[in-house]
Amino acid sequence: MTTTDQQPSSAAKLTSKFGFAARPALLVPVLAVAFAALVGLALIAAIGVSVPNALAAFIDGTLGSPYAIAASINRSTVFALVGFGFVLANRANLTNVGGEGQIAVGGIAATAVALYGHVDGLPLGLAFILPMLAAIIAGALWGALAAVLKVKSGTNEVISTLLLSFIGVWLLYWCVQSPALLRKPMTSSATLPESLEIPDETKLPLLTGDYSFPLHIGLPLTIILAIVVAVLLSKTVLGLRLRAVGLNPVASNRAGISYTRTVIFALAMAGALGGLAGALMLQGEQYTLKDGFSSGYGFDGLVAGLLSRGSVTGVIAASLLFGFMRSGGINMEMVAAVPTALVVVIQGLIVITLAGATLFIERWERK
Amino acid sequence: MTWELFAVFLGSSIRLATPLLLAGIGEMVSERAGVLNMSIEGMMLTAAFAAAVGSWATGDPMLGLLIGIIAVQPIALLQAVLSNTLRANQIVSGIGINILVLGATTLAYREIFGARSRAEIPGLAKIKPPLLGDIPVIGSAVFEQVWLLYAGIALIVATALVLRYTSIGIAIQAAGAEPKAVDKSGLSVTRIRYGCVLFAGFMASLSGAFLSIGDIHTFTEGMTRGAGYLAIASVIFGKWRIGGTVFASLLFGAATALQFQLPALGIAVPNALLIMLPYLLALLAVGGLVGRQLAPATLGEPYRR
Repeated sequence: MTTTDQQPSSAAKLTSKFGFAARPALLVPVLAVAFAALVGLALIAAIGVSVPNALAAFIDGTLGSPYAIAASINRSTVFALVGFGFVLANRANLTNVGGEGQIAVGGIAATAVALYGHVDGLPLGLAFILPMLAAIIAGALWGALAAVLKVKSGTNEVISTLLLSFIGVWLLYWCVQSPALLRKPMTSSATLPESLEIPDETKLPLLTGDYSFPLHIGLPLTIILAIVVAVLLSKTVLGLRLRAVGLNPVASNRAGISYTRTVIFALAMAGALGGLAGALMLQGEQYTLKDGFSSGYGFDGLVAGLLSRGSVTGVIAASLLFGFMRSGGINMEMVAAVPTALVVVIQGLIVITLAGATLFIERWERK
Repeated sequence: MTWELFAVFLGSSIRLATPLLLAGIGEMVSERAGVLNMSIEGMMLTAAFAAAVGSWATGDPMLGLLIGIIAVQPIALLQAVLSNTLRANQIVSGIGINILVLGATTLAYREIFGARSRAEIPGLAKIKPPLLGDIPVIGSAVFEQVWLLYAGIALIVATALVLRYTSIGIAIQAAGAEPKAVDKSGLSVTRIRYGCVLFAGFMASLSGAFLSIGDIHTFTEGMTRGAGYLAIASVIFGKWRIGGTVFASLLFGAATALQFQLPALGIAVPNALLIMLPYLLALLAVGGLVGRQLAPATLGEPYRR
């Protein structure tokens, strides 16, 4: 966007009329979510399900029990990590859509180390920390791959991270299909194509130790990382470099900020967060690696990142929304026979509405 | 490998390349005009679904194809409005459309077919062209294909001629390379780009319909499985040229065909590796195997007067 029309400030008008600053960056996502939710309700009615019943099932699935709440929050942390990665890379004007693949390679690495790294006897929590580290490294390498392609041959990172996602997901499929890799020993032809369950020591400790409220240490970890990312973006030289490269790579290069190093750092960090998200999913929730492991969470995290318009708080809000929406959607399917695809429709509408509203937000905020 | 097996491999490579070919050429035209449609995947899925439902409901695959083509146009129009008029980020809006379509088709599929999944759907007829089809051994294995493929080839040749020899073709290429010059010459960049996105939608609808009612005669949820992204990769691999895009599509088609051929030859390669192969090739392709890429100058940038 180079120039914009200079029109009288509608934001200022709103401010004077209502006595508060209506921030479009906040208002528009809320409106987009509300609009999409309304369409969702209309669709529920259209497929002939009673809307109150569906809503009751939705609420029951999100807030109905301590278990539902904890499961939703655990899921939200996964979305949030991917979303933080998106925001971080996006600061350097890079669009990382590879969350799904980064989750997959993270899951593979965490499973490999948890099962075959002889870590289960280690003290000080190393038993569950080492698989997470492996996942972080695997994700970072996966992300860095796209960065190297971008720097070396100018490959658009959107297409490369997307293709790497497909490759990562099929790599995982390969790992759980092949007995030489991570598939559990085949005792009969009925042995499922999945890994062994990881040892108890490598599972993420629960905050309460009570399985009816299975909130695990992924939550405090995500909160810490949220603070780290927010500080990194707004208060450090590194954050400034990302922003400079994002705004003008040529000028930044002249000013001594290496384009190559910044791009690799940004995408590797995004990948590392995606890999860690994969570790949380494996060690905190699924415990075995199987086909379909990444569950589309990478795309939910991506959408959370898009919705946030670059803010860490925005990512958290969107991730919580999606985490609870997923739980509610699952329960709606089970109890009220509303397909979970409805939630996907709502997400798609949110993304499209926000993409379409960018022009207005930018015009508005310029005032 | 015997000649018979080779002919089968060739035939299935062409069959599997067809959706990429059709969608890829449409996307190439649109990218030449400066618009990147990440939504090709969603457009294909829409057509695959609408054509399958149409063919199933009317019993006539031709009507199904028509319904598939019509169903995609609103999606293409939405993409055109977002990327031209609203000047939205083309990547984000395209991905949004893909998410929406995936959800909507899955929802509608469950509603319409419910437990009667994998309903028998009448498909498009195969034809065997004279002469080519009469070649002994390979004739019918290679050239007996769904007629949509031959119609597609005719469309691609026509597209190539229009791009190369007509003023419309020159205007399209200029809209992507030098939009300001197009504007000054009195033509509307926006109108050209709208037209190209709708054309990409049309080609993607043929591609999607080919997948469901041309190839496997059924619809499965999310059945495009990234084929739209492969089509975009083949445009990049083909350096935004018709010949290159066709070659890239055939290469990806052949890579997919290996999945079925290698096991038939008794060569043990992990299935997952073979499924991955087209995506790996695409990654290598966009990752500079083809050399430095020369994308249309304003690809992905909305035009402002």
